[in-house]
Amino acid sequence: MGKGKVINDAVKNFEVTGIDHYLLVDADFEEEFSDYFRCCVCLDLLYKPIVLTCGHVSCFWCVNKSMSGMRESNCPICRHPYNHFPTVCQMLHFLLFKLYPTVYMRREKQTLEEEKEMALFSPQFGYEACNSDQQHHHPRDQQHALDSGAFRNGEFCASTQQIEPVKFVSMIQAPTMSIPNEVCDENCTMIRADSVEENNLPEDKSNINCKQVSVSDVQCSTCKHLLFHPVVLNCGHVFCETCISPVNEMLTCQVCQSLHPRGSPKVCVYFDHFLQEHFPTEYAMRMEAVQAKQVHVKSQHPITCSTKAGEKSFQSSSATTRENLSWWADPHSKVHFGVGCDSCGVYPIVGDRYKCKDCVEQVGFDLCGDCYNTCSKRPGRFNQQHTSEHKFELVKPNVINRVFENESPAPILSGDAQDSNRNSSASAATHPDRAEDENETQTPR
Amino acid sequence: MNSQGGFSMAGGGAGGGGGSSATATSSWVSPTSVSSSGKRIQREMAGLNLDPPPDCSAGPKGDNLYHWISTFIGPPGTPYQGGIFFLDLIFPIDYPFNPPQVVFKTRIYHCNVDSAGNLRLDILKSKWSPALTITKVLLAIRSIFTHPDPYNPLVPAIAHLYLADKAKHDELAAEWTLRFAT
Repeated sequence: MGKGKVINDAVKNFEVTGIDHYLLVDADFEEEFSDYFRCCVCLDLLYKPIVLTCGHVSCFWCVNKSMSGMRESNCPICRHPYNHFPTVCQMLHFLLFKLYPTVYMRREKQTLEEEKEMALFSPQFGYEACNSDQQHHHPRDQQHALDSGAFRNGEFCASTQQIEPVKFVSMIQAPTMSIPNEVCDENCTMIRADSVEENNLPEDKSNINCKQVSVSDVQCSTCKHLLFHPVVLNCGHVFCETCISPVNEMLTCQVCQSLHPRGSPKVCVYFDHFLQEHFPTEYAMRMEAVQAKQVHVKSQHPITCSTKAGEKSFQSSSATTRENLSWWADPHSKVHFGVGCDSCGVYPIVGDRYKCKDCVEQVGFDLCGDCYNTCSKRPGRFNQQHTSEHKFELVKPNVINRVFENESPAPILSGDAQDSNRNSSASAATHPDRAEDENETQTPR
Repeated sequence: MNSQGGFSMAGGGAGGGGGSSATATSSWVSPTSVSSSGKRIQREMAGLNLDPPPDCSAGPKGDNLYHWISTFIGPPGTPYQGGIFFLDLIFPIDYPFNPPQVVFKTRIYHCNVDSAGNLRLDILKSKWSPALTITKVLLAIRSIFTHPDPYNPLVPAIAHLYLADKAKHDELAAEWTLRFAT
């Protein structure tokens, strides 16, 4: 944290070179942010964070630009291979907005300018949605919130002064109500009117959000408790590591029912550290609960969930490398270079590619064979206005493919190539195939 | 391959659709804006000024953020001791998604640096990652002064001599240092 502040100061003090005055000007107004939330690529606060399977986090555009449209991509930090462009983690997105409203708004403003330049947009969530989401959710949950209020006062608030449940509830009932100075006077003075206007964000709302992070913002979708060892699936939904369990070797999101590709995700360590620091009491309670549960489970079944998940991710990492090599080596695999699936995020698309004929955006809207067959209804990754009435057409791989065909190192990997022949011939059969792959890797050990 | 995508507009990165149909040009490949790479370089510069790596310095040449000059002092205990080596660092417009180009401007007798000053370093080519920073690049360059890699040489003759007769290699390197780098 300290270092981040010093860097921001240094940026501020550096002679203006004419490229981005506003960055330097804005640094004057900024609160410092935790290094846990510094993007390793742009070295700024994460904006529209995406969590990769290996648990490392980057901004939407940083991940997008780090990915290779030609072959599998690697995590910038640990070089863990992956094929799917994950969806933005909305929980982290709104958490960062609440934690650091000023910096986050500056990031939004800058990113929007760059997006206009590129004529390519990231998914828009809107903080009205965030706020209205709260207003929609909380009246329903309000009774619950009030019920647990005493509990919160007794247990939670002693350790985390920033959570003020009474004010939190009142803010939901009356969003325009003035907030006592001690809560947010520091941040209110820092928020500039113009940046607020630009983002269609009413000033009072942004003020309300200052530091108002509660357990309800960071709870597991399954167990409804504070996240413990959070993992983020490809769809961007967050669960405790112990709350996800693969069915038939495949992990399905319990919120959106989408499949998580390639084994179990790893714990997002920085997010976990943040939770531990921000909610020490609840985190300790969760840790105890999980450990007790694991002992309990162990007495019933010989294998606990977590060790099983760990083994699985270890196996799948080797299996997935094989899987990737197989399509790269197979001269007949149809790779659509530079084109990704807007539903599952696989990039580049291998196999059948269906392109929307009615989407007018330059980036287009494409689906891979699997997602087309399952009639996915998810919106585009780049804010395309795709609807279910749009028609698709099957598109052949682009010309680059034929150039690469001759260069592919097929002879060495002929066994794998056969694997992927089966893959491409029966596109729906990827899951059994993968299970087989894992079995194969399992047997030698 | 990456740079081809990096510089082109969203439609062109995929290679023009191969004649299947004109609408097949859509692509996820996005252009990188100048301001984001410039911002990243500025942030790195601030970090570098605060915590510079040992025996070297780096900074922009004039007011061009994308063209840096770096200075290395030959580490003690090596044949390059006492020399001052100048390097150019040129950042691509889509930095950090592509590595900076590093060129020795001072002549050096080293198996990984050719006579034009080109440097062979895996993290500056295939092993580049956008999470690598200028500081890390400088540290990697510093390490080749102390630990040349004769198994991935750019000048095989020097690598052979290094492996066959290290004393002779060091003598020549020290002579070059004295002649070109002081």
